[in-house]
Amino acid sequence: MSGHPVIVGGGSAGMAAAIELVDAGVRCTLIDEASRPGGVVYRGPLRAGVDLGYLGARYSKALGKLHTDFAARAQSIDLRLNSRVVGGDDHSLVVLDEQEQLQSLAFEQLILAAGCHERNVPFPGWTLPGVMLLGGLQLQIKSNVVKPLGTTLIAGTGPLLPLVACQLHAAGAKVAGVYEACAFNRIARQSLALMNKPQLFLDGLSMLAYLKLHGIPMHYGWGVVEARGEGELTEVSVAPYDDAWKADMTHVRRESVQTLAVGYGFIPRTQLSQQLGLAHGYSTDGYLRAECNVWQQSSLEHIHLAGDMAGIRGGEAAMLTGRIAAVSILQQRGVLNAAQAIERRERYLGQLASIKRFRSGVERYTARGPAQVELPQADTVICRCEQVTREAIDLALEQGVQDMAGLKMRTRVSMGDCQGRMCVGYCSDRLRAATGRADVGWLRPRFPVDPVPFSAFKHAGTEA
Amino acid sequence: MNKTYDIVIAGAGVIGASCAYQLSKRGNLRIALIDDKRPGNATRASAGGLWAIGESVGLGCGVIFFRMLSSQAKRQAHGAAVAVDSSTPHILPQCFFDLALQSNALYPQLHQELIERHGMDFKFERTGLKYVIQDDEDQLYAEHIVKHIPHLQSQIRWLDRQALRKAEPSVTENAHGALEFLCDHQLSPFRLGDAYMEGARQNGVDLYLNTRVTGVLHQGGRIKGVRTEQAGDFHCDTLINAAGAWAAELSEWATGTSIPVKPVKGQIVLTERLPKLLDGCITTSDCYMAQKDNGEILIGSTTEEKGFDVTTTFPEISSLVQGAIRCVPALEQVNLKRTWAGLRPGSPDELPILGPVDEMPGYFNACGHFRTGVLTSAITGVMLDKVVHEEALPLDITPFLAQRFSKVALPA
Repeated sequence: MSGHPVIVGGGSAGMAAAIELVDAGVRCTLIDEASRPGGVVYRGPLRAGVDLGYLGARYSKALGKLHTDFAARAQSIDLRLNSRVVGGDDHSLVVLDEQEQLQSLAFEQLILAAGCHERNVPFPGWTLPGVMLLGGLQLQIKSNVVKPLGTTLIAGTGPLLPLVACQLHAAGAKVAGVYEACAFNRIARQSLALMNKPQLFLDGLSMLAYLKLHGIPMHYGWGVVEARGEGELTEVSVAPYDDAWKADMTHVRRESVQTLAVGYGFIPRTQLSQQLGLAHGYSTDGYLRAECNVWQQSSLEHIHLAGDMAGIRGGEAAMLTGRIAAVSILQQRGVLNAAQAIERRERYLGQLASIKRFRSGVERYTARGPAQVELPQADTVICRCEQVTREAIDLALEQGVQDMAGLKMRTRVSMGDCQGRMCVGYCSDRLRAATGRADVGWLRPRFPVDPVPFSAFKHAGTEA
Repeated sequence: MNKTYDIVIAGAGVIGASCAYQLSKRGNLRIALIDDKRPGNATRASAGGLWAIGESVGLGCGVIFFRMLSSQAKRQAHGAAVAVDSSTPHILPQCFFDLALQSNALYPQLHQELIERHGMDFKFERTGLKYVIQDDEDQLYAEHIVKHIPHLQSQIRWLDRQALRKAEPSVTENAHGALEFLCDHQLSPFRLGDAYMEGARQNGVDLYLNTRVTGVLHQGGRIKGVRTEQAGDFHCDTLINAAGAWAAELSEWATGTSIPVKPVKGQIVLTERLPKLLDGCITTSDCYMAQKDNGEILIGSTTEEKGFDVTTTFPEISSLVQGAIRCVPALEQVNLKRTWAGLRPGSPDELPILGPVDEMPGYFNACGHFRTGVLTSAITGVMLDKVVHEEALPLDITPFLAQRFSKVALPA
């Protein structure tokens, strides 16, 4: 067993936690599935010689600083890249290593910083090639340095929409327009909360100015209703949304585009936290997340959560929660005494407070309208892996299916490779609406979290 | 919030749902099917093999159980872990063969009936079950099986090396041959459960899902109803215990006497969807494999007494994987998609516990189906429907009554 704390996820939370630990003289092991640390926010380009000017100066600076700080401590960090944690329990992880072999890694202390995934919103045509999730598209331009084909239309809700629109345009891609589902007055009502992060607020305003300057229209209270094309996307239909996000189909507008990026926010990853047996609760938005206290400690005191896994707040907050988790571990190991630990925690919590207020403002204006679940038609696929249509889900609900597990068995939703990551949001929304219950269960993730080759068991061993 | 029914069925796995479906066909009964989802329910975890002969002779799911028993016996005899001995096949009594074969024979018609009347397809497939012989010990075991079932010779077929290659090209060239059970097929277990349940619902059965039975009500020395956590009291004259691995507790509440039903954990491995790799179901001395209608291959399963624990464990999963690769080498190249564990409702003699108990009028057992609940669910539904109505049964229920466990003879 490694006495070092183990960190799962080398994004901003995991990296910040590692830095905090090393600075206090504690070595750690950090596992990430990518070939470079940084996570989706700060991975940076995967190839050399890229000028990141199109992502903005402040981003490039933050990216550079995090990687420099991390690199300076590299000797004390056992960094395992291209390694995926595919299972585990309360004292060990199962890791698919770089050689595609499964290894068991025991831990005494663990920080889970596995981040989040995007919320999928099904609508007619959402599975057509050319329709992407907004975060995925951003990652394409940030890390793979690949521009989308042709003209892009951006739809969804939240501050990521104008940001990606600016980044795309700055990278030389053509943007047809941005469709924000919320009415402008709903956003304006949150301006006080948004002023908690004046720089971000200003960034937001300057993004809007940038879009205006470059003739990229920003539409408020509009959303996507359909994507069309023969084999690939050629046309997107948008319509005005009311407060409940019910689309007004009498005012549908059609735009010819080759790429549609849809961004309706993020859901914390729970595959690992559930497997490890941690306590979970539901957010106001209805998604499941692992619970943690002010020390970022989960229901098991030797397992901490950091970053978006513990609630969606973005990269800057992730670094702070990563540091708080590390401080808690330092106290558990006796490196810091209680007073020192609390003093440090309070410092980080102070910085976190304004981000929290800012994010609450964002959360309030981006709160999803309940009518969004009505977008799919009878034949619209909801579960992509198993090709389950809305019709099948409607029938199951009519037949009295009451919970996620029942819906899974009746329709096969979530039985595919992704274990429901894509369809669980929609299914949960429908079940809650149909049963009137807040808790309709969630999908229990099974080992392995991602498919693993049978050959990975060949030399399956336990690391001493 | 009091509800009144003729019959309450506790447990909506394949057994409870099958009972509900058969009883609902009478059309004149008020029936409530109550179910509480707890991790590990066996219907969802099952492989869906209808291996009437295979399971009766200790193959399929039974092979690992048998090896466990025999290695335990050996260990006790020699005081040390030794190689497993396959010389004595683990063959169930004749009454079980009868139950299993009669049940098995019901599926083709049941399949058609549930599709036609209720629009529910449980994916019945005629596959056969091949016991793949990979070494001399396997050969010996196969020969013993054949010797023990002379009356079923028409249902078995020997495949030599060549015939096996032709029938199952993906099976290792090292295999000596196979013993095939012609009447052993497969279906989708959770679809079977859902089909029974939806058929019952369409026939007027009230479903109470996510509802936990917390007690049994009595009056005048007989069953009067059940108490639930979420839906209040249910009044009924008849209570059927189909609570799977949780049946012992309900029996205790209902009759004051426990029944020896214990959870027996089984871990299962599932591959990604594959093109047709297996023509029929396969059983070896390491594991069984069943390629389902959508191309996934299900590989099972362990037999463990771990209480109600349903975690999957690395060494056990790994051993199933190795066993599968040994028999079907091409599996080494495919992805493992999922693992899970379920809790079989184990009974000490591996026979289900069916029918009334003398001490408690109105109470009926439909539990203890161990590793063959999916297979014997069809006949269980039929038997319970008839036994509740005191009608002639398709086979003798005596060997399955709970009273077989009473050690002390009752005074005459």
